Amino acid sequence: MIQKPATRVEFLQGTLDLLILRTLLAGASHGHAIAKHIQRTSEDLLQVETGSLYPALHRLEAKGWISASWELSDKGKRAKCYHLTALGRKKLVTEQSKWKAFARAMGLILNPVIEEGQ
Amino acid sequence: MNSFFRKLSWLAQRRRKDDELREELQFHLDAEAEQQGLPEQEARYAARRELGNLTRLREETRSAWGWTTLEQFAQDLRYAFRTMGANKLFSLLAILSLALGIGANTAIYSFMDAILLRSLPVSDPGSLALMNWRAKQVRWGTFVLHSINGGWYDDPDGGATSGIFPFPAFELFQKADSAFSAVFAYRRARRLNVAVKGQAYLASAEYVSGDYFRGLAVPPDAGRLIIPDDDRVGAPPVAVVSFAFSQRSFGGPANAAGQSVLINNVPFVIAGVTPPGFFGVDPAAAPDVFLPLHLDLLVESASQYGTKAEEYLDKNFYWIEVMGRLRPGVSLTQAQATLAPAFANWVAGTASTDVERANLPWLVLKPGAAGLESLRRRYSRPLYVLMALVGLILAIACANVASLLLARAAARRREIALRLSVGAGRFRVVRQLLTESVLLASLGGVVGIGFAVWGMRFLTLLLANGNADFTLHAELNWHVLGVAVALSLLTGVLFGLAPAVQATRLDVISAMKETRAGQQAARHPSWRISLSHVLVVGQIAISLLMLVAAALFVRTLTNLQSIDVGFNRENLLLFNLNAHQAGRQSAEIAGFYGDLLKQFKSIPGVREASLSNHSLINAGFGLGHSIPGKKPNPADRMLVIGPSFFKTMQIPMVAGREIDERDLPGSQPVAVISEQFAKVNFGSENPIGRHVILSGRRDHPETSRDLLIVGIATNARYGGLKREVPPVLYIPYNQGFPQPEEMVFELRTAGDPLAYVNTVREIVRQADTRVPLSNVRTQVAEIDQTINQEIIFAELCTAFAILALVIACVGLYGTVSYNVERRTGEIGIRMALGAKRARVVRMILVQVLALAAVGLVIGVSVAFGASKLVASFLFGMKPNDPIAITAAVVILLAAAALAGYAPARRASRIDPMVALRHE
Repeated sequence: MIQKPATRVEFLQGTLDLLILRTLLAGASHGHAIAKHIQRTSEDLLQVETGSLYPALHRLEAKGWISASWELSDKGKRAKCYHLTALGRKKLVTEQSKWKAFARAMGLILNPVIEEGQ
Repeated sequence: MNSFFRKLSWLAQRRRKDDELREELQFHLDAEAEQQGLPEQEARYAARRELGNLTRLREETRSAWGWTTLEQFAQDLRYAFRTMGANKLFSLLAILSLALGIGANTAIYSFMDAILLRSLPVSDPGSLALMNWRAKQVRWGTFVLHSINGGWYDDPDGGATSGIFPFPAFELFQKADSAFSAVFAYRRARRLNVAVKGQAYLASAEYVSGDYFRGLAVPPDAGRLIIPDDDRVGAPPVAVVSFAFSQRSFGGPANAAGQSVLINNVPFVIAGVTPPGFFGVDPAAAPDVFLPLHLDLLVESASQYGTKAEEYLDKNFYWIEVMGRLRPGVSLTQAQATLAPAFANWVAGTASTDVERANLPWLVLKPGAAGLESLRRRYSRPLYVLMALVGLILAIACANVASLLLARAAARRREIALRLSVGAGRFRVVRQLLTESVLLASLGGVVGIGFAVWGMRFLTLLLANGNADFTLHAELNWHVLGVAVALSLLTGVLFGLAPAVQATRLDVISAMKETRAGQQAARHPSWRISLSHVLVVGQIAISLLMLVAAALFVRTLTNLQSIDVGFNRENLLLFNLNAHQAGRQSAEIAGFYGDLLKQFKSIPGVREASLSNHSLINAGFGLGHSIPGKKPNPADRMLVIGPSFFKTMQIPMVAGREIDERDLPGSQPVAVISEQFAKVNFGSENPIGRHVILSGRRDHPETSRDLLIVGIATNARYGGLKREVPPVLYIPYNQGFPQPEEMVFELRTAGDPLAYVNTVREIVRQADTRVPLSNVRTQVAEIDQTINQEIIFAELCTAFAILALVIACVGLYGTVSYNVERRTGEIGIRMALGAKRARVVRMILVQVLALAAVGLVIGVSVAFGASKLVASFLFGMKPNDPIAITAAVVILLAAAALAGYAPARRASRIDPMVALRHE
C-alpha cells in the first residue's frame, strides 16, 4: 500500500489552513483522518506533513476557527476531534473566495492562449 | 480578544494541555501504524519515520498556543531571582539603597508639595489676591506703624514685608469693588475656651470678616456660614466650627448646627460647619472655630489684652490680614494698579511726622492661591536642603547599582559566551540581562513605596514634634514616586544593557578560553573597570559631602544642647491653665492660682511649684516702664512670676531675695531683676533698693506701679536658645497690672515629670471643671521643640550619611573584590616568586586608598563650596568648620580601609599553587 506519488505538490503558504477548514466542513474529524482525507482527495498530490498539520490545527483552535473535543474513535480509543465553529465557517467562505480569485488570476497569467482560444 | 482569553485559559491548564498533545500525537502514530498494515514493530517505526522529530513537533505545536514569550519571560525571571540569590549581599544592598533613595525622595518631595505648591482647597484659588505692604525700613518711632499684632519679615534686599494692616485700610480696600468681587479680613485668635454641654475644650480660632466665606467661595457642610450681618457690634453671637471640631465635640456636622455653646464664657450659637478639608487661608493653622471679626470685642471684653473698640479706628495699629477675590477678567497687576495709589494716598494721611512721611509703606498684591506664607517661610529652606540630601542618596544608590551591574556583567562573560555558543540568540541573552536589571530596579521601587509611606509618617511626627494642632498632612506624591522609580529603572536598563550588548558582541572563542589568571587585560583596554572606578570615586565624594553635612548639623545640635540655659531643665513639668477664659473674674484669679499652687506643692514628689505668664524659653513680653534717672531701654523684657519661681527653676540669686509668699496683693510692690538687667540699667551701681516704674494700662493710668527691686538673679535664657539673653525684669503675678490670665505652671518633681500629670489634672478638675489643662510638656521637651529643626537635621543627616557611607563602602568592597578575583593568577605568580603576604595586602590597600583619596579630594573641594549654603542652619561655628570636615575625612578613610581590607586579606591568602593550577 505504500505508493509514494512520483511528483508531489508543495503547499503554498496559508493553503493548509484552508484545506483543513474545507475538510472539516464535511464533519468533525481527528488529525490523522484530516491528513489522510487531504491526501486521498488530492489523489496523493498533496501530502500533509504531520510536522505542520498539528501546529496548524492548534493555531486554528487558538484563533477560534475550529474547536476540539475528545471523542471515542471506531477502535474505542480517545481521539481529539476538531470541528468547524461558526467563525470558522465564515472564514472558510472568505478564504475560499480569496483562493478562487487567486487561482483565476494565476490561470489568466499562466494560460493566456487557452483563454483566448475558447 | 477572544483568542487572547482562550490562550490565557490554556495557560492556566498548561500541564493538561501538554498531556493532551502527547495523547493526540500518540493516537496519530497508532492510527498511522494500523494503516500501514505491516507487522506491529515495523509499522510503528514507519509511523515514527513519517511523523519526524516528535519533540520538535511538540515544541512547534506548543508555540501555536502562543505563550512562548511569556514562558521565556518566566524563565528569565526565575533565572534572575536565582542570580540575585547567588549574590545575596550585593542584591540586597542594591535593592535597599535604591528603595531608600526612592522612598526618601518621595517622602520629602511629598512634603514640599504639600507645603510649597498646593493651592488652597477653595474654588478658583487663582483669582485670590493677598494684600501685603512693603517698606524700605521699619524702625520704631520713625514709621507709621505704631503698634502691631503680628510681625513683618525682612526681605533679602533689606526692606520689610508684612501682610498685616490697620482696620481702616481694610475698609479702604473694600471700596475697590471694580477690581474685587469680595474683600475680606481675618486674624488669628488666641486659643479660646469653648464649653460644649459643660465640657470645656481649648479651641484654635480665627476672627473673620463678614465676606470671608463668600470671598473664599466655601459652601457650608451644615447650617450656614458667617455673613456680613453677623459681623457688626451688637449682632447676635454666632460661630462657625470646622468639620473636624464638629465631629470631635458634637458627633457630626448635623448635630453641631444650631447648638448653643459658651465661648470664653459668652453664649454663642453655632450657625454652621465648614466642609471637611477646609482649613482657612493658612495651611499651617487649621482653626476649630470661626468667629465674626467684630465679636472679638465681646469675647475678649474681659481680657486686659483683648481688642478695644477704639482699635477699629486706629490708623497706626496694624492687626488684621486682608485678601481679595479678583473680578473675572481682572489681573493681579490691574488690581494692583487700581489699589496701590489709593493706599498710598491713605497711608500718607496716617503719618504724623516728616520722618514717617519720608518712609511710607507701599501696597503689593500677591497671588493668594497658595494661602499664607508662614509655613513656606518656615520650612522651605530646610526642605530644599533635605531635598538635596535625598537627591544625593538616590544618586549614590544609582551609582551603586550601576557598578554592581557592571561587575556582574564582566564576571559573567564566560557564561554569556557559553550561552551564545550553544545557540542562544543575541536578543534572547540581552533580554535575559535586561530582565535582571529591571527586576532589581522594580524591587527597589516596590520596597521604596513602603519606605516612602513610612518616611512620611516619620516626617510628620518629626515636624509636628508633639504639637497637637499640627495640620500639615502630606499625601503620597505619585509623580515623584514615578520619577524616582523611572530613574532607577533607567539606571538599571542603562547599566544592565550596555554591558549586555557589549558582552553579546564578544568573540565567543576567546571568551571561552578566558581563564581567571590573565583576563585579557592587555587585549581589551577594559573600559568597564575604569568606569566602575569612576562610579566608586563618585560614591565616595558624595558620601563625604553627606558626612560633612551630618558632622556640621550634629555639631550644631551639640552646641545648642550644651548651651547653659541658666536653670535646671530636668524634672520640670510645665502646663498651662486659663481660668480667665473659663469665666472667672480677674480679681479672684490670682487667689485661685495661688490655692492651686499650694495643692500642687502638697503632691508627694513635687518639690516646688510656681507659675509665670510665659515659660522662660518661649517668653517675649514687655510693658512700658521707666527707671528714675535712667534712659528707657527698649531691649528690656519682663516675666510675670509667682512665689518661689527662682527656687523652682533653680536659678541662683546673686543678691537680695526672690519673690516669695511675703509679696501679697496690697503689700509693697516688688521686682527681681536679672544680672543683665542690672548691668545694662544700673552699671556699677547697686540696684537693690532702687525703683522701676511700671506704666500700667494705657486706658487705666491708675494701674501704674512703683516697684522696689529686692533681688538680682543670675541670667537665664529668655525667648529661645539662640537669642542673646535680654535684660529681664521679674514682677509678681498678684500685685496688680498685668492681671494673670493664661499662666504656665512649673512643677519641680522628684522623678519623671509626666508621672504627675494625672494627679495635677484631678486637682484642677476638682477646683474648677471649666478650666482645662493644656500644653502639658516637660521642660526638656519644650526646649527640644525650640531646636526641633536642628534635631531633625542632625538625626536625618546622620542617618543619610551612614546610609551613604555604607552604600559607598559596599561599592568599594565590590569593586576591589572583583579586581582581586580577576588578578588571582597574577597574585599567585607574585607570591610564587616570593612576594610576602603583607606586601600583597599593602598593594591592594594602596589601590583602595588611592580611589578613596581621589573621592576625598573631590568631596572636600565641593564641601568647601556647598557648606556655605547651609550656613544659616549652623550654630556656634563656621560653615567650613575644620573639626567637622576632619571628622568626615577620618571616618570615610577608616570606612574605606575597612572595606578594602577584607578583599586585600583574601588576596594575601591566595595559595600560589591553586592559583596557578587553575590556569
